[in-house]
Amino acid sequence: MKKTCCMILAFLLMVACASSKPVISDNMRVLDGPMPANLSGSWERDFTRGDDTNAVLGQALYQLSKRSARAQQSAQPTFGYGYDSVPRRDRAALFAIARLADEITRLQVLTVSQSDKEISIARKDDYAIFCAFYDGVAKTTESGFGAELCGWDGDHLVSNVTLPDGLQITHRFAVSPDRKRLRVTTTVNSKAAPIPFTLNRFYTRFEALPSDFNCVETLSMRRVCSTGDLEL
Amino acid sequence: MRYLPGARRPLSVCLMLFAFSASSAQQAPAEPAPNVADASSSRLDVSVAVLDPGIPEDESIHRDLDVFPRIRNIEALFLPFVIRQTLVETGEWGAVRVVPESDPAAEVLVTGTIARSDGETLTLHIRATDATGRVWLDKPFTGNVTDDYADEDPNSGTPGYQALYETIASDLLRSRNTLTNKEKTAVREVSLLRYGQQIAPAVFGDFVTTTPDGGITINRLPAENDPMIERIALVRGTEYVITDAVDAKYRELHAEIASVYDVWREFRRKTLHYAQEDARRAAETADDGENGSYEALRNAYDNYKFHRVTEQEQDRLAVAFFVEVGPRIEAIEARVAEMQEWVDEKYAEWRRILEELFEVETRLPE
Repeated sequence: MKKTCCMILAFLLMVACASSKPVISDNMRVLDGPMPANLSGSWERDFTRGDDTNAVLGQALYQLSKRSARAQQSAQPTFGYGYDSVPRRDRAALFAIARLADEITRLQVLTVSQSDKEISIARKDDYAIFCAFYDGVAKTTESGFGAELCGWDGDHLVSNVTLPDGLQITHRFAVSPDRKRLRVTTTVNSKAAPIPFTLNRFYTRFEALPSDFNCVETLSMRRVCSTGDLEL
Repeated sequence: MRYLPGARRPLSVCLMLFAFSASSAQQAPAEPAPNVADASSSRLDVSVAVLDPGIPEDESIHRDLDVFPRIRNIEALFLPFVIRQTLVETGEWGAVRVVPESDPAAEVLVTGTIARSDGETLTLHIRATDATGRVWLDKPFTGNVTDDYADEDPNSGTPGYQALYETIASDLLRSRNTLTNKEKTAVREVSLLRYGQQIAPAVFGDFVTTTPDGGITINRLPAENDPMIERIALVRGTEYVITDAVDAKYRELHAEIASVYDVWREFRRKTLHYAQEDARRAAETADDGENGSYEALRNAYDNYKFHRVTEQEQDRLAVAFFVEVGPRIEAIEARVAEMQEWVDEKYAEWRRILEELFEVETRLPE
């Protein structure tokens, strides 16, 4: 009983901290020296690893039902399909962020380009996550549609976007020491959701085949390729 | 007057000067010189300097201000030629030249800064002064792309903004028309004196003084038949050969990149429309779905995604534009720099020769 109380308290504390502390602190935005990790390369999704969305959703509902039950002074949380103790609105909000998290993490290939000052993660059918440290501080991208921040948390690259409706999406990229695997942890949260929803996806590095052509992108001729030296 | 042994030197340096002038004239560009100065007093020569690209130092605000630095630098080289062409087409001016740097000795000098260029609106802050320091214009000119944009010459490099250049030209003309013939003649004379001051400061240094507010005071005038003035005019004529060659390079640049620039401009215009469309869709769908619902979240995410994709596409094409025209710009800049270097070297030589001549001619007989 005492242990359960402590766990609940720790969980509530964690949620409270998560909502008050910025996902990316000022320290994380400062880059003093080389990039802490090399993420560059082509990465393809490893479907044998990673979270199962339904399982993660089940765990989240279980946590919520336990919390609700505690709030209702009931020692027995509901199991199986019955999460009736979780308020309907919380359930709907959780399902919403879980569905969004699942959809935005279906990317099969990531192409990462990295230099001393910037890093770009190209994602097919989605915008590229871009992080630039031109003056040693990560630049914020802000518009009427949302604000994007990035930084390094140790050797993890973290990107956070804040959107209307209190929607927050955080991607955390961690590369294995041998640079063969990349873990992408995506957390989605919204103002209405009772807890954030997190999914882990894994990628393995592959070598893109070298092309027989030298190509450049031009404005008037689009992509121009040649088997020899390119002269525009 | 007794001829001194050193008196032979002026003749030899004069011959050098003439010989040099003739050889320089032979190096004139093959293109027909568009700007043959008119002798009539109303037609003043105009120098249009390469524009200030107007790039804010703070990189973090480039995105908000829609400033693409490398493209602004191209526009700064490219747009003066359009101003020059518009002035030439009026037939109201003498020689109109694009020059790499502002030349205070020019009869009329047009300088400017690109304040805004986003494909739909172009704002240039234009300043025009004459050699006497009189300010003709100092104000912003704004042009907007109109719906009849498509009817204009697609290879002009200026679609939609011609009205802006014509306004600059007509304002310049209006300023010029306020001057009397005597004032125009003074502009021409002061221009030559200021040029003389640049090339032979020991000789012409005290003829004119620049006041703190940029005005010019004429302290004294040379004699009508002063041989030094004739030499200065000769040197200036030689320099004009090079200036015309530089001007021809800007014309070449314009011809080579006008069509690519138009593609960029059209793309920028479309991007603005997409951005407006994105904003409109975001406003219209703001109430879609209950707060926190999947529909509302998906909508917020998609709006952001489309916005970023458009921005990133724009960045990609800005790079593509530079990849395409960058080598041509570099080649032309290198050529202009070579010519400028040659002029600088000759300046030093001319200065030495002219000062030697002056010394010999003004030395008291022993």
